[in-house]
Amino acid sequence: MSRSWQSRAWGTISTYVFWVFMTLLTLIPIWWMFVVSMRTRVELFGRPNLMLNRLYLENYSNVLTDSAFQRYMTNSLVVSTANALLVMILALLATYALSRYKLAGRDNIFFWLITNRMAPPAAFLLPLYIMFTRTFRLGDWTLFDTQLGLILLYCVFNLPFAIWLLKGVVDGIPIELDDAAMIDGAGLWGVLRHVIIPLAAPGLAVTGILSWIFAWNEYLFAANLTSVVARTITTALAEFVTVTGTNWGELAAMSMVTLVPSAIIVIFAQRYIVMGLTFGAVKE
Amino acid sequence: MRNPRVGWALLSPTLIILLIFGFAPFVYVLVVGFFDWNVFAAEDGLRFNGLDNFRRLVFDELFLSSVGLTIRFAVFAIASEIVLGFALAQMLTRNFPGKSLFRIIHTFPLMVAPIAVGAIWRLLVIPGFGPVPFFLDRWFDLTYQIGTYPDQALMTSVIMDIWHWTPFVTLTMLAGLSSIPREPVEQAKVDGANRLQVFWYVTLPFLRPVLLTTVFIRIMDAIRTVDEVWMLAGGGPGTRFTGIYIWRVTSPAASADWGYGSSVSLITLYLTIVLCWLLFIAISGRRKGEVE
Amino acid sequence: METGKPPPPQGKRGESIKENGFLPFYTNAFDRVFISLVILIGIHLLWLRFMEPTLPIELATALSLVIGFYVMRRG
Repeated sequence: MSRSWQSRAWGTISTYVFWVFMTLLTLIPIWWMFVVSMRTRVELFGRPNLMLNRLYLENYSNVLTDSAFQRYMTNSLVVSTANALLVMILALLATYALSRYKLAGRDNIFFWLITNRMAPPAAFLLPLYIMFTRTFRLGDWTLFDTQLGLILLYCVFNLPFAIWLLKGVVDGIPIELDDAAMIDGAGLWGVLRHVIIPLAAPGLAVTGILSWIFAWNEYLFAANLTSVVARTITTALAEFVTVTGTNWGELAAMSMVTLVPSAIIVIFAQRYIVMGLTFGAVKE
Repeated sequence: MRNPRVGWALLSPTLIILLIFGFAPFVYVLVVGFFDWNVFAAEDGLRFNGLDNFRRLVFDELFLSSVGLTIRFAVFAIASEIVLGFALAQMLTRNFPGKSLFRIIHTFPLMVAPIAVGAIWRLLVIPGFGPVPFFLDRWFDLTYQIGTYPDQALMTSVIMDIWHWTPFVTLTMLAGLSSIPREPVEQAKVDGANRLQVFWYVTLPFLRPVLLTTVFIRIMDAIRTVDEVWMLAGGGPGTRFTGIYIWRVTSPAASADWGYGSSVSLITLYLTIVLCWLLFIAISGRRKGEVE
Repeated sequence: METGKPPPPQGKRGESIKENGFLPFYTNAFDRVFISLVILIGIHLLWLRFMEPTLPIELATALSLVIGFYVMRRG
């Protein structure tokens, strides 16, 4: 009797030791960046000290009051938010169509969607650059270096993901509810507004949140398809290293600011991340 | 009652956006890949040159070595992630107080922007003040400099990838493990199977679809990896992976040889599409003789 | 993810799904064309790398057409 109690106690203790260890492995790199962001240039060199010496906020205030950084930040916020809203609307309509109407070639549309999501963005940079600078132009205005360009472009990887996340949700809403609403005289918009949207609201919210974070995190398109006006926060991070003489403290502060939305989302939408990342191929 | 035309109308905005920004670029590289198009040449414009771009590509040492490097990177990273992720998922199937907190922290790296992941690891390994080179030198007398030693740079990228993506494997494995029905496992135990046998003959076959999905998704991610590795090492030796190579060749700012850039894109897309299709076959359950 | 034994998928018009081909999964016409194309591209690339100075590329085309035909018929 006592032996099994003992072994269970050991099991519990080793579980906790293991998880505390894993948590440290996850957090120490981030903690180090936080420490760097709290130091002056001089304090950084010498023996690395993982402890925080003092609260030194100048890196943050330098970054946050910098007008270029503010512009990058605004661009990122505008692009991510607009893209997430657009993706939610379009994906809801598309999912409803795929779920309720008999459309020829639905399976092939699925395959094509996955390919869009998985294609290496670097492979499309050149044609997109040419389209953005030469094809879409009105007089002096081109799609290159505009927020609109990024908003539309990010749909390429966010829409497929959103549709396959929402597909399961909409398929789960009984079609009888649609029919009942239609018999009561509701049109297509009525059904969408009073049946589908309320019932799919949680899934829709998750779709929006994850699309938002994917757009916020994107780098390659933003780096190559904008130049001055529409640059986003991730490109700012990358440029920081190459162009200026690299003030590591400020780089760390900037990265910390970039992390904030991710942290919030992980805490509130953790369960749904896996669904979003695997196209619901692996159902929880 | 449900007119397919209405369905197509609802689907059309999505299709139009994806056709313009997803399909048109594909057609573009498909065509230009067979042309010679040097932007800075005396006469601007396309000249058809058949398979010459591909002839150059298959002998391009930079490209081939980038492929080799990517394969090494993918094998090391994905194998470790699968083993580690499976072990972690197994540990998360048990209940213990504080489990959800640990899981939330463990998931965090997944949502961090790749470029920020690169920045985080760069700060860790930078010579001069990064703790990793310092302590490796102090404790193991090891000179650690990713800018100089390609193998160290490769291993650092692998470890960074493991840090970033193991949580993903853990979450998919957890989903897979929790979908395994209880009865076969119990039955096998009653029949006297030990833990290894249960794992090999019961758990693993049930887990196979999830395992396949995860591996395919991770391989395609490895092909696409650019941001984090670029931020970590700036394309230094040992980290010139295929993604970075394509980016350098096709990047509008850095390259003038657009025809060749397109052919490189095409090859990568070819690999991606094949992998995608295999994934599709794997998850749509069309294998013959699946479970008995 | 379906864990049970999957039913063989039904073809849209019933005629294209093959169950007794040599490929390790059920294929329809689209799949077989796709596989043939993938093989065609692969063979051409390998040919350019290893065979070309001695043997002309047209042989690769011929070879992949034969294999493609075989996949279409027997896959």
